[in-house]
Amino acid sequence: MANCKKGQQEIVGFVLIVVLVVVGLMVFLVVSLRDSPVNEDSVVVGNVLDAVMKHTTECAIVYEPDYDNFEDLFKSCYLGDRCKNLEVSACDYLNESLSSVVGDLMASDASVGFYELDFFVSDGEGLLRISDGNCSGSISAAQRKIISGSDSLVIRMKICLA
Amino acid sequence: MVKGQMKIQQMAVMIVAVFFFFILVGLFFLGIVFKDVEGSAEDLQRAQAISSLGVIADMPELNFDSGESMTLDEDKLRIMSGEFGEDYDLFWPVASIGVYKVYPRFDEVEECPGTNCNYYEIYNPSGHENLQAGDGGYRDVKTYSAYVAICEKVRESGSTYDDCEVGKLVVGVRG
Repeated sequence: MANCKKGQQEIVGFVLIVVLVVVGLMVFLVVSLRDSPVNEDSVVVGNVLDAVMKHTTECAIVYEPDYDNFEDLFKSCYLGDRCKNLEVSACDYLNESLSSVVGDLMASDASVGFYELDFFVSDGEGLLRISDGNCSGSISAAQRKIISGSDSLVIRMKICLA
Repeated sequence: MVKGQMKIQQMAVMIVAVFFFFILVGLFFLGIVFKDVEGSAEDLQRAQAISSLGVIADMPELNFDSGESMTLDEDKLRIMSGEFGEDYDLFWPVASIGVYKVYPRFDEVEECPGTNCNYYEIYNPSGHENLQAGDGGYRDVKTYSAYVAICEKVRESGSTYDDCEVGKLVVGVRG
């Protein structure tokens, strides 16, 4: 009887140790698999955004050759303007040309695995989203604000560096 | 006596196992902590490199408009990548300077001047292969890059406007 009790105690002790080890492993697994924190004000991503915003497009809202750069084109899209020379809406052209420019830009940088560019009204609806790739590293982000009349437009970019 | 020794052995093995378990957990934890530190250090290094490249890009010899940072003048790039640029050999505080047009995307580097060219070699006294960000060319030269706008004044239908493209400034620094 005494031997049986002793055996039971040892089994309980062994189970306790196993449970402790499993709980410890689970905790560290969760810690290691948690989402990596996003660097919200990355100089690297800000540099990409600044260069893209200055790029001159082929869209002229008023007359040729008064072509919009991307910063102006974001405003034109928000105001619902049309590219007079191309006979398309500014938003359609913005979507098409921005995807092409940002896509080529990111493709030229082997360290970029994923990118996402959002265009939205501050505290309001999203107007455009471009994204491509898969993320397996840390995410860096940056945003630029454009003022259009009384509204504030936000262009936010996220890049996942492998 | 034998039973007592067995008990001591069991306890010793258990203590060693627990000790190794906590050592492993500690190493795992340190690995996670230092992974973040490594990432932060890389981010800082990139930010510092871009800031340093800004100094080169904002030099009057390359800058398009003194009010705009990280904006290069394509006319100045044409001049500086030609024979005139050779007079600046002692001027540049770096090992090499090159500027790529990254849009539209290209598969082969075409040095300017030329049709559909995409690369301006501003300064490269060693004469090594076209600078690509990261490869360094020579072993002792480390390259850093940042995106810039390459602008030029274009006259069309009697009006002048600024035509800007996205480019990449690549600077080599001797390590």
